[in-house]
Amino acid sequence: MSSHAAAGPIDHHHDHTTATGIPNKKLLWWAFLASDCMFFGTLISTHLVYRLNPPPGNAVPTQVFNIELTSFSTFILLMSSLLMALAVNAIQRGNVKSTRVMLLGTMFFGCIFLGGQVYEFAHFVHAKKMTLSNSIFGSTFYTLTGTHGTHVAIGVLLLGMMYVRTFKPTSGNGLLRNFAHLTAVCVVMGVSFISFVPGMIEVIYGLPLGEFLSHHAVPLSVGVAAFIAVLWFGRTSGTVEFGEQNAGDVEAIGLYWHFVDIVWIIIFTAVYLLEYL
Amino acid sequence: MSAHADTHAPAAGHHEPSKFHFYIQVAMVLSVVTGIEVVLVYLPLAKWFVVTALVTLSAGKFLAVIFYFMHLRWDKVFCTILFFIGLVLAGGTMWALLHLFAADASKPLTSIVGLIAF
Repeated sequence: MSSHAAAGPIDHHHDHTTATGIPNKKLLWWAFLASDCMFFGTLISTHLVYRLNPPPGNAVPTQVFNIELTSFSTFILLMSSLLMALAVNAIQRGNVKSTRVMLLGTMFFGCIFLGGQVYEFAHFVHAKKMTLSNSIFGSTFYTLTGTHGTHVAIGVLLLGMMYVRTFKPTSGNGLLRNFAHLTAVCVVMGVSFISFVPGMIEVIYGLPLGEFLSHHAVPLSVGVAAFIAVLWFGRTSGTVEFGEQNAGDVEAIGLYWHFVDIVWIIIFTAVYLLEYL
Repeated sequence: MSAHADTHAPAAGHHEPSKFHFYIQVAMVLSVVTGIEVVLVYLPLAKWFVVTALVTLSAGKFLAVIFYFMHLRWDKVFCTILFFIGLVLAGGTMWALLHLFAADASKPLTSIVGLIAF
């Protein structure tokens, strides 16, 4: 990426300083994603093998799934991919402010998806009595969708790190401030998908709002305090290092984010929709 | 190479054209396709038709995301080759596993008698 430091137009798709003409970071991410394809390929096929030959006593998926919620989660993840693409588009044009907004939006949508998954898992375990170990279907389902959810959570963390990096000042390293900023972002996102989003879904399904607020008072208070801290750290002041020359870094995180989206496209069809035929 | 936080794209004209509207259009098409997928499973159509349609629509969404959102369309072809090596290996593994376990000898034993005989 050294060539990007040179003055003049930046070619965001080719790097003439490498033998392949591809920026090394991008090449690394593509190689990783190719290997991750195989990882998810085995998990999906394990799930399908046991679905095609269900052992006795297996759970009945259509009695367990909530296809409306899963469809909504799929739409949200798709929209997060759009915001991620717009974040890359913005930084390729040197628009740092817009990049931040798009990164925050992507993280927020990622948290809604994760919150939906937290609600879904909790509902399956407590209401549908399907645990990781009481049926083969539960084992393969939780392993597959849980692994995907972990990928999404790692993606949210990477996006948070990128978001905080956009505030690094030109003068001084601002390490402590950035660390505090990242901590606040992580707390907001954590409270969002562990407590806030699942709670709001329960409210939509009939839980009184007052009961939700009283049960989740402590995490919600911590989340609000962290959110105020994020706003405070996010005040624009002075010049920052981050700019168009970092487009490759944002694009690399974007590749990972879009990958979790395409994996979900397959999971949504293979694990959820095909069960309704 | 510092940039002010409030700085918008300079008017120097050296940036590549914005794909903002294009991305919005792609996302809208993907959303509509997702909606069609969900509706399809409730329609009284032949099972083979619905399965074929779902697989085709999912593959279309998959390709749209990797070629447009992930920029494979504009990147060097080596990135496409690299990713498709992993994809083909994953697809081959899935195909092999599904065929192996579809064989009669691989089907799980469903009764105590069968288990004892085994």
